[in-house]
This record gives sequence, structure tokens and C-alpha cells, in this order.
Amino acid sequence: MPVSSTPAAGAPRAGADPLVTETLKTLARTVRSFQLYLPNNPMYVRALDSARAALVSLWGRFDSIEFGITETEFTHEDVPVLVESDRGGESLPWVFYKDGIRSFEIRKGFETRELARFLGALKTVRAQAGGDEDLVTLFWECDFEHLSYTYEEAGGDGFAAPGAELLRGGARPGSIDAPADNETDAGTYGAGASQFAKISDFDSTLYFLEEQEIAYLHQSVREDFGGDLRPSVIAALLDTFEAQSDPTVREEICGILENLLLLLLSGLQFRTAGYLIRECAAATSRAENVLPSHSQRLGELAEKVSDPATLNQLLDALEDAQLKSPQPDLVSMFTQLKPNALKPLVSHLVRSRNLELRAILEEAVTRLASANTVELMALIGSDDEAVSLEAMRRAGEVRSPAAVAPLSKSLDAASEISRAAAVAALAQIGSPGAMQALERGLEDSDRDIRLFVVNACAERQYRPVLARLERAIKDRLVRGGSSQEKTAFFDAYASLGGDGAVPLLESILVPRGLLARKEEPMTRASAAMALGKLGSERALEALRKALGDKDIVVRSAATRAMRGGE
Amino acid sequence: MTATTMDGDERQETANARRTGRALIVAIHSATRAIKLYPPEHQAVQKALGDLSAAALESKSVDADLELRVHGEFIFVNGTRLRLDLSNYASFGRVLELFRSAGVGAVRVVHDATPREWFALLTLLATVGATPDGDADELARRLHAAGVEAFETSAHADEEVEIEEREAAKAAARRTYAQSVALTKDVINSVRMGRVPSARKIKRAVQTIVDEVLTEEGSLIGLTTLREYDEYTYTHSVNVCIFAVALGKRIGMTKLQLYELGVAALMHDIGKSRVPTDLLQKSTALEDDEWRRITAHPWLGMLTLFQLRGQQELPYRAMIVAHEHHMRRDFTGYPQVIRQRTIAMTSKIVAVADAYDAATSRRSYQTKPYPPSAVLQEMRDNPRRGLDPVVVKAFITLLGIYPSGTLVVLDTFELAVVLGANTNAEMLSRPRVVVVSDGRGNLLQPPIETDLASTGPDGQFARTIIKTADPDRYGIRVSDYII
Repeated sequence: MPVSSTPAAGAPRAGADPLVTETLKTLARTVRSFQLYLPNNPMYVRALDSARAALVSLWGRFDSIEFGITETEFTHEDVPVLVESDRGGESLPWVFYKDGIRSFEIRKGFETRELARFLGALKTVRAQAGGDEDLVTLFWECDFEHLSYTYEEAGGDGFAAPGAELLRGGARPGSIDAPADNETDAGTYGAGASQFAKISDFDSTLYFLEEQEIAYLHQSVREDFGGDLRPSVIAALLDTFEAQSDPTVREEICGILENLLLLLLSGLQFRTAGYLIRECAAATSRAENVLPSHSQRLGELAEKVSDPATLNQLLDALEDAQLKSPQPDLVSMFTQLKPNALKPLVSHLVRSRNLELRAILEEAVTRLASANTVELMALIGSDDEAVSLEAMRRAGEVRSPAAVAPLSKSLDAASEISRAAAVAALAQIGSPGAMQALERGLEDSDRDIRLFVVNACAERQYRPVLARLERAIKDRLVRGGSSQEKTAFFDAYASLGGDGAVPLLESILVPRGLLARKEEPMTRASAAMALGKLGSERALEALRKALGDKDIVVRSAATRAMRGGE
Repeated sequence: MTATTMDGDERQETANARRTGRALIVAIHSATRAIKLYPPEHQAVQKALGDLSAAALESKSVDADLELRVHGEFIFVNGTRLRLDLSNYASFGRVLELFRSAGVGAVRVVHDATPREWFALLTLLATVGATPDGDADELARRLHAAGVEAFETSAHADEEVEIEEREAAKAAARRTYAQSVALTKDVINSVRMGRVPSARKIKRAVQTIVDEVLTEEGSLIGLTTLREYDEYTYTHSVNVCIFAVALGKRIGMTKLQLYELGVAALMHDIGKSRVPTDLLQKSTALEDDEWRRITAHPWLGMLTLFQLRGQQELPYRAMIVAHEHHMRRDFTGYPQVIRQRTIAMTSKIVAVADAYDAATSRRSYQTKPYPPSAVLQEMRDNPRRGLDPVVVKAFITLLGIYPSGTLVVLDTFELAVVLGANTNAEMLSRPRVVVVSDGRGNLLQPPIETDLASTGPDGQFARTIIKTADPDRYGIRVSDYII
């Protein structure tokens, strides 16, 4: 802050009270900190605390203190106590002086609640470049109880006229001017009227307000000042849009609504933003003779919010926000999003660590995904694996047959995770096309994927897979696998093939002929168990043949299978 | 440098003082009424006096002292000014009247008063008040004679000081009014010329009006009787702002709520700046298309307010009020309502203030304004006006049955101009007036200010209104007597 050289910056002149000077210097430093730092910054908090402490020390000697203001100085008892010679935005005396304030008095108690408001007003007025706020107006809005000030009414240019009458603002000690916020107390005229006084005129009780009437007034005021006014304004704008066919008027309203939407989004007013978008759609569909350009402008509002660039900013802001469930505002706005919002939403959903936001995004993505399969399918092929996986999961959830082609393509992916997600989604979809695509998974290089597919086919009783299963068994593709895989394939084969499956399983369990290859005991035991699960007469007959087998594993498996797998 | 009267974190203490103070005033009023209606030994009187003693004790427990003081239109309990609102205005007015008529400015309770002592005080206050030469000294003498030592009384504040204060308040009100009219003119003309009006100026004007209304509403309300024909467009907005803020205060709105209401009221007709002036001033019947253009001003106002410069936040409340102030309760007014909405209380207040000021003003198509009392009666009795009846009722309690500026004929055949409503809510039909001519029609120089609630030695009212009259017929400019 530029200061004069004589006297030295902030230095008390002869006669200046050092305590007062020091307090004012601390206050000036706090004003700067308030300007520079955000409330969560330790510097900000420290500055506020030091200003409070300085004021408290002042109250050890004074009950109140008054400062005079010149263009470059704050004075106390006519002695300069803070001198800043530059008449720029940085000079504290000038900030007061230019808005007409000529003195201010602070009183004990100012430091508790009003200091922050005072600093906030100074910040607002200093931050604006050629703006339309002034300190007198802002101080009035602060409704101080422990600060009063004198000021000269500013002229047309915003500057106080020299020598103008001094007015007083702020609370006067001991006066109660208005209720505190926390108080609750809170045809043609005369056509048939005679000019003569009537008896009823003298019955004042006619005009006494009943208790319930007073309660109604108080309640209405509370509702008026407690609610959000924006929806009412939006409703009025759109009523006007519908009722007034003049294109100039509609043009003006379109512009207002576009700006309003941005304001709502930047102010995190999501419910109202959602209402605006929804009602714009209703207005364009109901209103008569709407120009295509107007219809398009209003329709584009939802597109604008859904635009990835816009939506990503919003989602980033929400990620850092402390959200508390439920969030009807956000949900309301998200229900208005267009299909192009799906990608940023999914992309954010898979990375979000904000549990409340995740829950809201989950709902929004489900809604959009079920209504916009084309966009969802496109996401399956996304380069971003996390997005692709989420899209596959969603495709399965919504059982969209349209997803079969991209999912089928994903079966060729290098990533096992992607292939696993694809088979899971295909199994969930379960359409003939999906199952046909799923069959390919039986030959996947990953054992878990093969297992999942064979189980899914059995579960869904998908018989067309029998030929592929039989081939897999005959070609001994399975036999080299784990016992779990063998069991799964044999079980599925038996379950889908019925008695038709007995010959192949019997040939594995009880090889015929001297040259016939005898399978490993575990493979034969798996065949026995599959026959046992089939449980038909033919299957039992095949099992009986193995009851006397030399291999104890096979014999034991056949015995258990005969008893139903016990 | 002086010590202040408030110290520490005293907000809660002040609220307590106000609460107990209000309870005390209500208890005094109840006891006075009971004494008037029943003999002293009656159960109702005893109960009321018991309640009064308890209320006094509670007030003393908050401040360790108890002094009731009346000054101007206000009551102070232990230096705290009590706020008048709808739930207590009747009691306030009666107690003010009780003190005033007895010439008593303050009563200090020096020790805990018994119900018997309170009975003596209230009875003697009423008796002394009805005595022509009764004053605080007389009351003190009679209290002493009755053996009542619990109270010390002092005289009403110096009349000259009060007159000076009243004149100063009037001067401040005139300045506020003139500045507000100039500001409104500037805003409307700015919009007409396609410029963006300054929000700061609007804020300052309304802040000043709110300050004035909170300090001394009577002076500003008196100024609304000016109703200059040439300046109607501008004075109307200022008048509506004054009426709305005063009504909001009476309803119990906070200072910042009054501020928002005031901005909305001042700007309620801003849409007219987008309607051709010749149409607004047309004195003959309007064609359909012209009527359509006039009735566009509410929504035009809302659109215009989106342009207001320098707002940290858009003036949504003002937009709603501009849009709704011609809507009737059943939505048969204008503009057309398509989406479900609830008319805001602020809009209802402005609608009442607007209707009243418009009907009582001289305009291009209304060369003869309607008498204020007839307008209030119509607003009260005709549901087709679509005004909220409770708000209208509250408005009547604010202005009185015969509002400021009404010319009345008294039963003495004198002509009088109403200055303002009586502070005693039971005397709404007996306003403060200035008698401008004697019973034979001779103009009085100077005119005589009097309170129609005052009684003669016989206990009868000295003067009573028998009818209202047309000021033009008598060549009287009512504002000359008020301002």
C-alpha cells in the first residue's frame, strides 16, 4: 500500500495514541488479507483473529472509538493515526472518503459478528473496477449494531459533493430501529360509497386483525423470504414467452433464459436449472407460432448443459463439494440431461471418490443409458477402458440387444477384463444373438471366461451350444483343464444334451475295447458326476458299469453319482 | 468519546428486554380495560393486575430497573424502544394515549409495585387525563395522597423540543421524498432512452426511505398526499414504496426485508417506461390494442429489471412484484398465468399500495381522484378487486379509516384535513386532524391541530367526523396542511 513519506507509513504523529494507531494498522493489514486470501486460507483466519485481538485490547481502555476520515488519513481526536497518501484503490482512507464517509465509530462488540461483515463490504467495494457498489449502501445492508458512520450523499458521479450535509448511518447507541432477524413478532372506487360516516366506521374492532390473520401474514412473509424466487421468475418468463407471440419479445426472453441458466449453474442452483430446461421444452411445445430459431435456442439449453465441456466443469466442482443425500436439486437437473451427457457422466462415475455424487451419477447414468442405447453402444468401444467397462456393465443391465455387436467385438480385445465384462453383459442380455456371440467365449484363452460362459449357457439352457460343447469335449480341449473346468463342461453338456449326452459321457467313464483310451481318473470321475446329475435311466445304467471299476476314484465317483451326488 | 449504552454481546439481552417490555405494555392495556369494565374487586380486574405485577417484575429482573417513557410515537422501556407491530399495536396506542392525555412523559417503578398500587396508578392516570389541567405533578400529588410510593412520574418531554424534532423529521422526510422522486425520474427516463439505470442509486433511495419509515413513518406518509399531477408517474412509484415499506414494517418485516420490499415497490411500474408516454397519458378511452400495450407493463417490467446494472444478484423479488402486482387472487387480472404460481406476499402488499395511491391520485384519465376513505372502503368491500383482504385490513390499520389527506366535515361543521391515523387502534375513525375552517366556512389562520379522540370536560368527544368532502369543491389543497 503506497503511503506518504511524512509522516512515515502508519507511524503515529506526535500525540497519537499508540494503541489506537496499532489497532488501525492491524485493521488495515486485515483488510488486505481479506482481499487476498480465501476464507479457508490460514492467513485469512490469522488476520481476522489478530484484528479481533487488537480490538479487544482497545476495549480495555475505550467503550467506543471514533475515527475521522480525510482523503489520505484516518484521524483520532483530530490526530492522524493512519496515513496513506495514494488516492488509488489500495488506499484505505480513500476507499471510505470517495464514497462520502467522513467518520465512523466502532463500539465494543463490533469484533464478534460485525467485523467480518465490515471487511466483506470493503472487499466488495475494492474488488469492483468502476462498479456500482458503494460503501454507504453496503454498510447499510450490513445492518451494523456496533458501527455507525457519517457520510455525505454522493452526487451523480458517485462522489460526495464537498461541504454536503453530513448524514448518519448505522445503529445509534441505544436505539432499536427494526426487528432483529431472529424475531418472529413478528367497477370504480366509491361508486356505492356514501361520503357520510357510517356507524361501522366507528367500530374499530372491524379492523382488528385476528390472531390467525396475523399468523397468516407472518407465515406468508416467512415463506416469501425463505424460498427460492428463481423458479417463480422463470415461470413468469416462460408464461410471457407463451402468451406473447411478438418475436422481439420472445427473442429477448430467449437471451435472458440463456444467461439465467449460466447463472444458475455457476451458483449451483441445479434444481432450478433443471426446472428451467424442462419448462423451456414445455413452452416451445405449447406456444403458438414459435419461430424455429427460438425453438432451437430454447431446445439447445439442455444440450448446452449436457455438453461434455460444460458438464465436466460442473462435475469437477461437485466432486470437491460436500454433498449430503438426498440431493433432489441435482437429481432434478440430471434428469434433464441429453444423450451427449452420457460419456462425461460415465467417465466421471468410474473415477469419482465422492460417494454421494456417485449415487446421483449412478441414477442419472442408468436413466440415460436405458433411454439412449446408441450413445451407450458408442461408449463400449471407448478407448478409455474404464468407460468401456462401465458401458458394457450398463448394456448388460439394460439388456439392450443393440449392444450385442459391440460386445461381440470386445471379445477380441486383448484385455481379459474387457472380455470378461463383454461375456458378462452378453449373458445378461441373453437374447439369441447375445448367446450366439457368447458361445465364442467357450474357446477363450482365459479359463475363468470359459467357465463363466459354459455356466451361463447351462443356466440359460442354451441348447445351440451343444455342438460346440461336444466338440470341446471330444477334441479333448477340456480334458487338459482343471477338474473344475471339466466338471463345468461335463455338467453343462449333460444338462443341455439330456439322454443324448449319455453315450459320450459313458465313453469317457467306461472306455470300451482294448485299444480305447482310458481317460485320467479325475476326468472319468467328472463324467460320472455329470451322469449322476442327469439321473435318467440311461445315465444310471452307464454309471452301474463303473461301480466295479478298478480305479477307486472312478468307483467312488460312480457310487456317489448313483446316490445323487452325495 | 463516550461510553455506549450497549456492551458485550448484548443482542440476546436486548431481545429479552424487548420481549418483556412488550409483555408489560400488553399487561397495562389489559388491566386498564378490565378496570374500565368491572369494579375493582372483580376477578377479571384482580387477575389483570396480578398479571401486570408479574410482567413488571419480569421486566425488572431483566434490567434491575423499570422505567416506562413515551416520546413522540414511541414507547421506551428502560431505554429500549419497543417495536410496534400487528400483534401489539392496539395496546401500544392505548398506553401512549393514557400517558399523553395525563401529560406524563415517564413513570419509574422505584420498588416492586403491588397490584393495589398498579390499580391506583392506572386509575389516576385515566382520571388525571380527563382533567383539563391534569399533568404529571397532579398525578404525583394524587399518588402520594393515596399512599402509593412505588412510582415516580415525570412530565411529558418539552413540547417545543417535540415540535422541533417533528419539524426536523418532516424536513428529512421532504428531502428523502424529493430525492426519491428525482431518482425514480432518472431511472424511468434512463430506461426510456435505452440506458441502464444505476442500481446503486435505487438502493440508496430505498435505504433512505426505509430509515425514515423506521424512524418516523408519519412524515413520509404525509408526503404521499402531494400527488402532483405532472409528476404522477414518478411520485406514484415513490408513494407506493412508502406505503409498502410502512405496511411491511407494521406486518413485522425485518429491516433488510423492508429494503427488498422497498426496491420492489419503487420499481413495480418500471415496465411503463417501455410503454409510449402518449399512451400512458391518454385521457380518453383506450382502444383494445392500446389497452393490451398498457397491460404489458408488468411483464415488461420484469424483463427490464434483468438489465439493472451493478447487481451482485439479479433483483428477483422486484421482478416478481413487477410481474404480479396486477394479478388478482383468482388470477383474473393480468398478465396471463399459465404455470401454477402463488402470488407473493410482497406482491400483495405492493398491489394494495398501488391500488390505493392510483385511485387517490389525479391522473390524465382520472381528473378527479377518489376520496381516500372511499378507496379504502372499496378495497375492503369489493372482492372483485382481487386484493388480499387481510393485507387490506392491515393497510387500514396503518392509514386509519380516514387516511392522511382526507378532507372531512366535522359535527361542528368545521372542515378538517386528516394528518394521520390515531396511534390508539381503538380510535381508527378518530384521526389526528388539522381544522382548516370554522363552522361558518371561514378559513382559520393558523389552522388548529387536534386529535379527534380527545374528549371535552363532559367526557364526550369534542369533534366527530360526519362526512368526507371533496377538497376541490372548497378550493383546498390538502397537502398544504400536511407538508
